[in-house]
Amino acid sequence: MANDKSSMQLVANGILKENPIFRLALSMCPAVGISTTVMNGFMLGIAVLFVQVFSSLTISMVKNLIHPRIRIPTYTLTIATWVTVIDMVLAAYLPEAYAKMGIFVKLIVAFAIITMRLEMFACKEPVGASFWDGLGMGLGFMIGMMTIGLVRELLGSGAILGYDVLGFKPLLFFILPSAGFFVVGLMMAFFNSIEIYYKRKKGFKS
Amino acid sequence: MKNIITIIVRLTLSCLIAAFVIGLFFVLTSKAKKHNEHVNEEKVVYSLLGYKGDVRAPESLKLYALYRYVVSDPKGKSIGYLIPTGQGETAAFSFITLDLDGNLIEQKQVTVSAENAVDREGRDKAIQAALGSGKDITYADKTIIVTENGSRIAYLVTGKFPGFKTFISAMMALKPDFGVRGLAILEHEEDPGLGAEIEKDYFKNQFIGKSFDSLKGLDVVKEPIPEEYLKALESRLQKEEAAQIREKFKDHAIYALTGATISSRSVTNGVKGTVKKFAYRLNILDKVLKDQKIAVPF
Repeated sequence: MANDKSSMQLVANGILKENPIFRLALSMCPAVGISTTVMNGFMLGIAVLFVQVFSSLTISMVKNLIHPRIRIPTYTLTIATWVTVIDMVLAAYLPEAYAKMGIFVKLIVAFAIITMRLEMFACKEPVGASFWDGLGMGLGFMIGMMTIGLVRELLGSGAILGYDVLGFKPLLFFILPSAGFFVVGLMMAFFNSIEIYYKRKKGFKS
Repeated sequence: MKNIITIIVRLTLSCLIAAFVIGLFFVLTSKAKKHNEHVNEEKVVYSLLGYKGDVRAPESLKLYALYRYVVSDPKGKSIGYLIPTGQGETAAFSFITLDLDGNLIEQKQVTVSAENAVDREGRDKAIQAALGSGKDITYADKTIIVTENGSRIAYLVTGKFPGFKTFISAMMALKPDFGVRGLAILEHEEDPGLGAEIEKDYFKNQFIGKSFDSLKGLDVVKEPIPEEYLKALESRLQKEEAAQIREKFKDHAIYALTGATISSRSVTNGVKGTVKKFAYRLNILDKVLKDQKIAVPF
């Protein structure tokens, strides 16, 4: 099954059309759990980006060697390997960031989005396309996390990237994990409404 | 059958490759990790002594590490200390062995550079080489003696004691008279929100200012912390006011954490035990050093 999309289209697909958080609604647990600030979202996003790209590449490279009956264990093994590598690199070179998000990095093993992308895309497509798809998905996840983080940090602690911009704390509620669901839900509605509006303008029936 | 074998072989192969990649990265990052641990420890040490943020440690402040070992040979067990004997830039180390009654058995020069002495592997090797074969050494713990202008101002003692689930590892800063100057919890696996509160200021700062005598009989009470004491512990008050309130509660028992009496009690008993043992050991060591006229910089 050849892919007829260009590399940029694949990246854009991951960020907009099939955004892991807002459109596919996958891996919501970390999205809600850790996206209390922009920086947290960014760091977990980077980790996911690396794991997604490397796993996609690995699986795409060895796709003809994988026995179809054990493909899921193989995916899990690949993801686990890369997560462990990222975990060790972060612990060694970014100890302060690691202290904050160490437990979430280990959780990446169970992220639905990565396994889903390997199953849907990387095991059928060539290496190049898989790389761009992994990059797009990782970026989509990162941007999603950062957007949620932005809203929550601004509304929850009145700051952006740790700098106090409002001077007061509007709603402490947004820092709490449950508020993550509200933000994600509102953002989903926002993205969907944009899409509907866009399609109507173009003359499609939604 | 053929399918099963193929699956087994392939899964094993994948696991082997994965293990190789992980092992490779483990080796690559191990050096940086060790460095981080060292930096972290230094940070804890200085913050316990009160040098954090803008307050810099003065030049005259010197830290000397003292490593305790258990030495076992066919005749029995003895206690060994690796002590620094050099002054200033020239680093020299001696390994002294004491028997269980506190008498000196022998003193051996250990040739190891200051950098290698920090690293456990290099240190163990150097000591083993100095002692010769036939003796086994087991690393026990590390104490840091802090001096300012040549006189001792504090000891930093690490202790490991059983908590609610697993071991709690803590570092204590002690005054020369073994009163507590500060406590930092280094590692623990207590429940978040309950036992994990042991690392919060309002619990661990309760130990600050406890004298050696009151520490010996320190107890835990299940009462709410008085409001003014809580404020003083969390450093929400002016310095003088906080010092006054702390003085008032100086000999009071430790207020247990709500819902985590076991954790509170184990930290209290752990601190108590560690300090008591340390004071006993240090007195023996000091006596030996004085009697044998072994020159040490601390």
